[in-house]
Amino acid sequence: MQLAAMSFVAEPVGPGVAVVRIGKALNFSNAAEFKACCQQQQAERGVHSFILDFTDTGVLDSTGLGTIFSIYRQVTPQAGQVVFASVSRPVQVVVQLTRTYKVFRQFATVEEAQEALG
Amino acid sequence: MKDRSILIVEDEHTLRRLLEYRLSRLYRVRTAANGLEALAAVAEERPALIVSDIIMPQMDGYALQEALQKQSDTSVIPFIFLTAKTDASSRARGRRTGVDDYITKPFDLEHLLSRIARLLERQQVYQTQLDAFTAQDFSQKLMPKRMPAVPDYHSFFFNLPREQGGGDFFDWNEAAPGTYFFTLGDVMGKGLQAKFYAFSFLAYVRGTLHTHMRTTHSPAGLMSRVNQILTQDELMGETFASLLLARWDAYLNRITVCNAGHCRPLLVGPDGSQLVADSDLVLGLSPDATFTDTTIELGPQQAFFAYTDGLIEQRLATGEMVGEHGLAEAVQHVREAPDPLEALTKDLLARSAEPEFADDVLGFWLKRVR
Repeated sequence: MQLAAMSFVAEPVGPGVAVVRIGKALNFSNAAEFKACCQQQQAERGVHSFILDFTDTGVLDSTGLGTIFSIYRQVTPQAGQVVFASVSRPVQVVVQLTRTYKVFRQFATVEEAQEALG
Repeated sequence: MKDRSILIVEDEHTLRRLLEYRLSRLYRVRTAANGLEALAAVAEERPALIVSDIIMPQMDGYALQEALQKQSDTSVIPFIFLTAKTDASSRARGRRTGVDDYITKPFDLEHLLSRIARLLERQQVYQTQLDAFTAQDFSQKLMPKRMPAVPDYHSFFFNLPREQGGGDFFDWNEAAPGTYFFTLGDVMGKGLQAKFYAFSFLAYVRGTLHTHMRTTHSPAGLMSRVNQILTQDELMGETFASLLLARWDAYLNRITVCNAGHCRPLLVGPDGSQLVADSDLVLGLSPDATFTDTTIELGPQQAFFAYTDGLIEQRLATGEMVGEHGLAEAVQHVREAPDPLEALTKDLLARSAEPEFADDVLGFWLKRVR
């Protein structure tokens, strides 16, 4: 079953692992919804690792990135991970600029990320 | 509007349900059957507006309104009486301090909806103006009043804060005669909250520089200290920032830069522009992050240009963002201008899709003349 917090949909894909489809944008206008979606997964399903699917994502601004950081800091004490999958070009630019590829592993597809976290 | 919360206080079940049904199309609606229940609901979450009956068991509307008026945080909640009491004395009693409207039953639902919308709009406008004023105040405090004056150098600074912009900041200090430290950064987030965090963050950076410059003049060493504070201090647990820390040894014509996830600065000269100081990890993310210094020599007629992401993320009329390379090209056309930053922003706006910058814009230009 999928859980949706406003515009974000999180799909459990394994024990403690969920895929969150980011959609067109993660920015100041929807970052709080994204965070609520992830926290709902953590609280209700014991999710500790997130695969963020950036297929078709055109905008990732600093507020959106800050929210991903916030989730990362929440899950790492539980040995959780945040990984990026199917990273679009605009998102790749932000990731390169902030050097966050040093922290968030990237996978070509959601399926590859699932295998790695499985 | 769905994010606005309305509290309906009405003892008559059918009317309460009707109001809940109609208003919930537009707002988040909670209900209470009397004043006591309403006070409990307000304590749980402050509503944006209250619509209340007067005659109710246990605690009536007058008593509820009086109780709300006694506390400064609840006294400002817009309040509408919706009542069957139509006599003149009740109307007079109802039009007391803190009551924004008095509507008698039977009432026109559209009229009620229109009054609610008007009151919420007025509140929103007031809040927006207050936020804009406070954000402007923060923005000014995050910027220097003057720039260092050194022979053979010209320095320029440009800052254009946006109301819904982020937490850009810039600061400088003279660590020793002829040795200056520049801090330029962007605290992640938007609006007033980001500016407040930027204000707090800048205080941390200033404190760290002041304390640790006695033991190191390495920007990378200082950056590590700032990062440790951010990753270890729970108060700053939600704060992430990109930061460029630069030491300028003016008499040696040398700049040493450490970059934590910030836009890469440019070295601009007659032979072209080049990006300098590849960035390390953004601050606040990992306590194990390492930082490196990059030193550049400033030749005659060369300029060091640092900026925030509002410049490179500006959308051009072509649909493309300015980008690092676009900016490197643009600065070549303005490097000889009397005020290169003013010329640069004009040039970018002339080529932009919108007549204004979408985000805060901040730039620092340091040129060696001779």
